[in-house]
Order: sequence, then structure tokens, then C-alpha cells
Amino acid sequence: MRALDIQRVLGGLGPDPYLPMSGRLLEARDLTERERFYRVELPRPLGHGPGQFVMVSCPGAGEAPISICCGPRDDRQLEMVVRRVGGLTQVLHGLQAGDSLGIRGPFGHGFDLDELQGHDLLLIAGGLGLVPMRSLLQPIMAEPERFGRVTLIVGYRTPAEELFREELAVWSKLPEVRVIRLVNDRAHLPWDGEVGLVTAPIAGLELDIANTLAVLIGPPVMYKFVLMELLARGLPQAQIFVDLERRMKCGIGKCGHCQINHLYCCQSGPVFRFSEIAQLREAL
Amino acid sequence: MEAFLAPRDAVLDWIGRLGQQHTVYFPQPSGTRSFQFERVTEASILTLESWESPVPRAAFRASANNQPPGKRLAPPREQLFTFRRNAAGELEFLPSLEQGFQVLAGVRPCDLKAIHLMDRVNSEGVADPHYLNRRAHTAIIAHDCLQPCDDYCFCEAAGSLHCREGADIFLTPLEKELLIECRTEQGAELLAQAEFAACDDPQAVRQQAEAHRAKPFGRQLAGSLETIGKALAAGWDSPLWQRHVERCFSCGTCTLVCPTCYCFDVHDDIDLHDPTAGERYRTADSCMLGDFAEVAGGHNFRGEPAARQRHRVKRKFEYPLERFGEGSFCVGCGRCGHQCTVDIDIFDIVNDLVRTGGEG
Repeated sequence: MRALDIQRVLGGLGPDPYLPMSGRLLEARDLTERERFYRVELPRPLGHGPGQFVMVSCPGAGEAPISICCGPRDDRQLEMVVRRVGGLTQVLHGLQAGDSLGIRGPFGHGFDLDELQGHDLLLIAGGLGLVPMRSLLQPIMAEPERFGRVTLIVGYRTPAEELFREELAVWSKLPEVRVIRLVNDRAHLPWDGEVGLVTAPIAGLELDIANTLAVLIGPPVMYKFVLMELLARGLPQAQIFVDLERRMKCGIGKCGHCQINHLYCCQSGPVFRFSEIAQLREAL
Repeated sequence: MEAFLAPRDAVLDWIGRLGQQHTVYFPQPSGTRSFQFERVTEASILTLESWESPVPRAAFRASANNQPPGKRLAPPREQLFTFRRNAAGELEFLPSLEQGFQVLAGVRPCDLKAIHLMDRVNSEGVADPHYLNRRAHTAIIAHDCLQPCDDYCFCEAAGSLHCREGADIFLTPLEKELLIECRTEQGAELLAQAEFAACDDPQAVRQQAEAHRAKPFGRQLAGSLETIGKALAAGWDSPLWQRHVERCFSCGTCTLVCPTCYCFDVHDDIDLHDPTAGERYRTADSCMLGDFAEVAGGHNFRGEPAARQRHRVKRKFEYPLERFGEGSFCVGCGRCGHQCTVDIDIFDIVNDLVRTGGEG
């Protein structure tokens, strides 16, 4: 009789998607002046894929979307990095090992490793973009033989913002893996990488265009310029993946904040094939 | 299902009696200018003034009620859960779902359509248990409109005038009486206590009443919903977006009164008596507000008022087609244009776009 059989819908409801699970911090340490690393133990395995995110709660201070920064794993652990930018992240920065916090997720559409398999990969991360990129890098570097040549370009504003230095150093020694580290500005600090923007090395790269997939993760301002370089090299839009950032309040396609034209970034994204969103005027 | 005929006063008495037993909301005068869906109490003076036009008292700008009845399904402030720290200092998150039964009486077809759309929004993809739980415990008594409720109405053009979906009981105003059609078992339970005369041929009675419906009904859009969708798709760069926000304060009133606006923000409050406990709740938010699409670091994906206006209009007339296959999320109730403090009307924006084909 009703257009919608609500009793049936109610009967099929899973757990309340707004209700976080309670996680406990196993580890919390500063990576830079503004970024803090967390390893969380959850009541059950998260079961996430690379590129997905969680909603992190500090009850009383609020909730925000945070990128997962570890590769898929079977245990009950989750790693993430939080930059201190406002009220909630300020509170998160005060947490220590042993403290508890709320986690919902995983949410969003991330990277499909099978889709990347067998291809040369050009991975470009700007600043904090390396954090979600790490959820993709870990599984790639664990089985590099599944992929072709892997080139990782990482750029920071200054050497003080560098993240995961030791891990990158280990990965850069793998065969067929090249890591290019850049800073915009040495800022009078010791730096053993290159100086320049992440766009700088692209023109000089040896690329097998037909077999290369590119992944871009960085601040909004980075995409336009990196995309120009990649498209100039002849890389088709469908071979470029971008990970977009939006404000999000729910993670389940309801609150409206992350909407990009008709798409909800929290569900269709945050990882998109560039060809899917190239025509969407609010995407980049 | 059964149908009845009863004088208007008898129906109002029945709604009043329902209000003694259940939580019943019915449009009641609010201040001197409008009607609101307020709880029916013993003190309530129920009148059909709110939905029988032309409005007898000129001072009343009755129109569609100030706030859509659907706000009783998705309250502007709604608790999502509570939290506390247990003795070991660990956080606990405790679900909270409201269970009370409520009746929304005096719902117009435009608002019925809006509730149908919100049912879809909240049940498709990841279901929203808070909305659906409330919805499942809600009965709706709706009524037909034979006259446009005010000068802002364009429900016929928006395709909602003939919506009956979701109504448990549907009333049609006749010359002296009301036709009462029961559409669900829940409706039959509410009608069990009423002593109305049976109507043997509701279809004939209804058709007779419908013959008196104003034609055309309310304002008419300059093109079909399909034409509007096309004009919007072509009109991204139209100068009309800027022209129609010159006066806009970005106050968000238009979205606040919209029956199909459901965007929300989420907040926490700490219990002042127990700082280890508190609640998380959501509040109505608005894509017209300046910081709606701003991300950490300050980048704003819709920083300009014109971009926000465009998003709102496209979200009503273009995007729903791609996401839900529904012709329009605008139900033509006219509230946004009526309530706007500077007289910006979505009806005018859409018509201008259609007239220029989105180009100028």
C-alpha cells in the first residue's frame, strides 16, 4: 500500500551507521610540528581498502573524516595521521597511548589493487597527500613484482614537513621503484632531496604512456597543475586517479557537505578516475 | 479500503480526539501571519482555515505552513547517540532511537510528495535509522487542494499536486462535507473511533470535487521539468546565477523551510553535570551558508553566493534525476520564495533559465 515498505526497511537495517566503535590508542607520536601519528586498536578488524577513510570522534569535540594511512590488514589495527588545524584536531593531538576515541567506517570508494596490477605506476603526493597514499604504497611495496615500474614523487613545502622518511628510504631501494622527494623551499634546513614543485620532474620522466596509471593525492591547488603536466605528456584521463578532499559530516551520502555536482564524494569517491569527474565543474 | 463522508466540524472533532490519545500535529495559527504544525492539545482550536482557500482572514498569509510537516520526521535538531566514559575510562557510545507514535494531520500533496522523496533519500544506499524509525511510527492524514494555497504555489507544475503516496488517510474537501478515504490499515485503526457515514462511491464523489479544482492550478513554470533539467545542464556559466543572488544574504532561510532540504551538520554537547558524558546531535544545515563546502585549510568549493545558489537549484531540478530518477525534488510548495527576506524565488530563477535556454 505504501510506496515504501518501511517496516521491511527497518527489519533489514544494519547497525546504526552514525554510532562509532570505541578504539584505543596503541601509539601516538608527533611526526612533525603539526602532524601526529596514531595506531588504534579496534574491537574488530576494520576491513578497509587503500584510499578509504574513517570518521574519527573525540566526544565533546566532534568528528571529522580522516584518511586511513595503512594498507589493508587482517588485525584490529588502524593507522592514521592527523594535522592540527582546528578544535577537534587540537584535542586529538592531546591524546596519548592508552586513550580512547571513536571510529566509524571504513567509508568511501578507494583504490582497486587488481586494477593497478601489471601497470607502471606514477604516484604523486603533495604534502599530507602522502598519508592516504601510504595506504596504497604499503600493499604495492609488499608485492612490487605485481606491478611494473613504480615512480613515487613526493613534495613538501619545507624539509620540516617530511613524513615517513625511513619507510620511503627502504622502498626506494626496491628494484623497479624510484622515489623522488622534493621541497619547495629548503628553509635553511638540511635536505638530501630535490628542490622544486611536484610538477617539475614529470616532463623528464621516461613513461610508457599506454601502460602507465597515475595517482594524484594532494591539496586542492596541486591537482590543476599536475593534471596539466600529465595530460601534456599524453596520459589519457581514464589512466589518472585523483583522491579528492571534501568536508564530510556523515560518510554515508546524507549530510550533503561533500557533494560534487550530483556525486557524493564520500560514496562515489574520494578516489575517482579523472575521466569520471573531468566534466564536473566543482570537482577540482 | 473504506471511505466516509462527514461534516468538517466532525472531522476536526475527531482529529481533536486523536490528539488526546496520540501525539498529533495539525496546522495551527502561529503569531498573526502563518500556520505551524503544532501539537494538538485540549486547548487547541482546530480550524481548516489553514488549508481552505481563499483564506477568510486577510491578515493570515496562510499558504503552505511555515515549516513543512516533514520536519516532524527529521527534526531540525536530533540526537544521534549519547556517550560516556565507563569506570575504566573507556568511551561508550549508546544508541538512541525515538520510538513514539505520531500523527501528521493536514498534510498537503506537495508535502506528501516531499515526504515520499525523503523516504527514498533515507532508505536508499546506507539507510538512516533515525529517520526511518520515526517514519515507521508516523501516520499521515493528508488532504487534497482544490485551490492554490497562495500566490507562491506551483505544485502542479512541479508535479506534486496529485501525490497520494504515503497518506494513510486522504481527505477531499466537498461543498459542505469532507470525503475521507482510508488508504492503509494504520489509517483504519485511526478511523475506528470515528462515527462517520460510509461513502459507497468515493471515486464519483472525488471526481465531482476535483471538477472544481482551479485550472491551471497555481503558477506555471515556463517549461516542463525535462526542459528545466536541460536548461540547467546547459546553464552552468549563465550570468543569471549572479543576477539572482545580487540581493542574497546567504542566510539559509530558503533551505530551512524547504521540505526536501535535508543537509545537516553534526555537533557534540557535554553534559554540564557530568563532563565525562554527553550527546551527539545533528542540526539542519544549509548549502547556502558560506562555509558549507569549505575544507580544512580554507579552500572553499562553493565560495561565491552564485555558486551556492546554482548548487541549490540544480539539487532541486537536475541532480535528483541522475541520483533517484525523480523528476524534481522541488515540490512547488513556494515556501522558499515566500519566506525569502529579499524576494528571491526559485520559480523566477528556473523560468529565466528556461527562457534563455541556460545561455544568457
